[in-house]
Amino acid sequence: MEENIQVSLDKLPIKRLDVIEENGLERFPSDLDYDEKRLSLIRRVDFAWALEKDEQKKKQKKTSKEASTPWQWQSMVENLQLAHQELSVIIDLINTVEANDAVTVAGMTRPKPLPNEALSDLAVSAATKLQCYRHVGKYFKQSAKAFEQQVAREARFYGALIRLQQNWKVKRQRLASIAPGNEGFTFDLFDNSYDSEATNRSSALSTVHVDHDAAGMLAINVPPNSCHSLQFGFLGEQSDNILRKSNVNKSNFSSESDLGESGKESLSDEVCVKKSHILLREVHLAIFNEQVFDLVNREAFNSSTGVSVTGIHENYLQLSLGQGTFVFLSLVPSGQDNREVEGAATDDVGNAILPSDTLDGVKLQDGKHSIQKKKKWQFPNSLSYEIYLQQIFHEHIFGRGIGKPISSGTRVSGVPIKDGSGLLGHFSLSLSHRIFSSKVLAELENVVCRVPYLQLITNPTWHSRTSSWTLSMKVPQSILHMGSQSKMSNIALEKNAVKSHFWTKVVVNDDCINVEREGALKDVGLFKGKSEEIHSMNKYDCNLADLPVIILQQVASQIINWLYQEALMVGIKANRDFLCLSFELDQGETLSLVAHVDPEDIDGCISWWLVMEDSFAEERKLHIDITDGASEYRKFLGHLSLDLLYATLMDLIGLCSAGGGQ
Amino acid sequence: MNMDSQGQTTSLQRLQNVEKRIVKVLELAGGVMDELSSPTGPRKEVVQNHCLDFMQLIKDIQVALRDEIKSACEYRPFENCDYGSRIGSEICFKKLEFVMSQLEAMKQTMDEYHAAV
Repeated sequence: MEENIQVSLDKLPIKRLDVIEENGLERFPSDLDYDEKRLSLIRRVDFAWALEKDEQKKKQKKTSKEASTPWQWQSMVENLQLAHQELSVIIDLINTVEANDAVTVAGMTRPKPLPNEALSDLAVSAATKLQCYRHVGKYFKQSAKAFEQQVAREARFYGALIRLQQNWKVKRQRLASIAPGNEGFTFDLFDNSYDSEATNRSSALSTVHVDHDAAGMLAINVPPNSCHSLQFGFLGEQSDNILRKSNVNKSNFSSESDLGESGKESLSDEVCVKKSHILLREVHLAIFNEQVFDLVNREAFNSSTGVSVTGIHENYLQLSLGQGTFVFLSLVPSGQDNREVEGAATDDVGNAILPSDTLDGVKLQDGKHSIQKKKKWQFPNSLSYEIYLQQIFHEHIFGRGIGKPISSGTRVSGVPIKDGSGLLGHFSLSLSHRIFSSKVLAELENVVCRVPYLQLITNPTWHSRTSSWTLSMKVPQSILHMGSQSKMSNIALEKNAVKSHFWTKVVVNDDCINVEREGALKDVGLFKGKSEEIHSMNKYDCNLADLPVIILQQVASQIINWLYQEALMVGIKANRDFLCLSFELDQGETLSLVAHVDPEDIDGCISWWLVMEDSFAEERKLHIDITDGASEYRKFLGHLSLDLLYATLMDLIGLCSAGGGQ
Repeated sequence: MNMDSQGQTTSLQRLQNVEKRIVKVLELAGGVMDELSSPTGPRKEVVQNHCLDFMQLIKDIQVALRDEIKSACEYRPFENCDYGSRIGSEICFKKLEFVMSQLEAMKQTMDEYHAAV
């Protein structure tokens, strides 16, 4: 019994039945006095009296049994008996409680813990707390790591997104129902800063979704072959031109697949961003190309532009620009050639276009023995027109939106500003002009190739429908002063300097050729038989077929002019005709140096004849074909260079002044 | 991008630093917990240092976030759209490529001429 239990019993006046007689009479025990009651109750619990009794008994027993030897278990027996008695009291107590004697517990004190118990309790609680701390600490560190990884992933993603955002518009849709990896970003490639009438068709390509790739990095998925590039070409053009173009197109957007798959993390970030950027550029350009194609389609069916449609397929438009020129415009998926469609289309067109030829066989001014074929005309490079088409539409589409004027002062492109309906017309006119001027250029080159002392200079006009060239002939200084160095002083030289630089200008406006010569005041009229000093027309138009002849005639007459001036310098008066310089000999005979021009001549275009006539042949000069050589003597001098001409002139002059002879 | 005068970092970098600090804070908390749970009892100076760092970092985070929120400008993505000039430069790029190819052809012609001569 280590616990002190204090029990107080309620003083309920419950009477216990003592005895019941047969006649039902109940006998209660006599009421005890209150104190006696208490005493009896206490006695029931207090074992002191029992102990006293026992002790008395024990003493009695002891005194009665002093003589006997004590049994070694005697004390234990006595203890057990005592315990038994105590237990019986407790059982009585329990029975009393069970019999509804209310028992209330007044209080209970905790047993004072033993020291080691307290410590062990403390230790257990401490250990539990430490365990919790450890658990929390591990949780913190795990979260830190996971968070770090998440931060790194997102840093890559948002870093890439911000870099791309510097160039492209980013929109965001915050959807609640999207996948956890998708934040709803899109790139908006639609340009809304220009007139909407020009671009009704908002492409499905305009919105590009931003996805994550496997590593969480920004990735863009564009369906393959959805980007189209514009292709422009002439029907009947050589295929190698088109191949060259498509190679150029491919090189634009060839992905750098050879770059770092084995690179570092940072390197592949750059590569990712760059790839995405390139993709976005492709898509953006594809949208523009589609818009251009749309606009061209719309304008082509407007009959006022002078351009007519001769064929339509899907993403393919074939136009006739007049004068037998057929062009096509198509949208091809980037990286592919739209060859089949073009092949089918060429059957529709007759061969109105000159077959193009390669450039072999044409050599530059080489020597006398070079064989110079006439270069056949080929189409101008269609890539340049593709670019030009894009450019003018770009200016139209975007220029008006931003508000800057289309034709700035420095560059007059001649684009009509009105409402864009003239763009295609302007383009076709420019194209026709370019084709024509390339033909003109071919003719001029043919001529200049074969006249060694003639130079061809291109004058830039900065106008898409005008072209201009200058054919320049410069007499070398050495020839000029050959005979005159000893005679005149320098100042006199300058004053009496013979004109040594001659030019002929060819200007093409749309398809009109205009030839202009540096106007000498005393120039010879065209096709006039007499040598008269009149003001001539220095400018005249001609057509393409006559151009070489006219050019050569101009050049030859310039040479004649020069020789005439040289003769004057020496003091000899000669007679000058358009292509002929004649000296009078004593007996009325004339010795003439005649130029002959022939554009088809392989060895040279300008050749010279020496013609000697007697006085009776004056009236025959008017005859164009001088076939009979009865009254005159002709010697073919060949294609002379300028210094040889000069030497010839001096010889002739020498002959004249020496007087007669052959 | 906003270039700030303090330390020449962009606001993105500053926000990234905030995130790094948060990670550090978590690590410190974990470290303190580990220290407290060590069987030999926590070392006071270690815990104290950790706690000081923690408080410092929290303060830095707060300061940085407050600054960023104040200085965050409204995102106006659709002003001054440069898509038009972008197309212009793409066209210029194509022109350049074309001119280069022409020049290369000219050079080739010259080389052939010199070789023939």
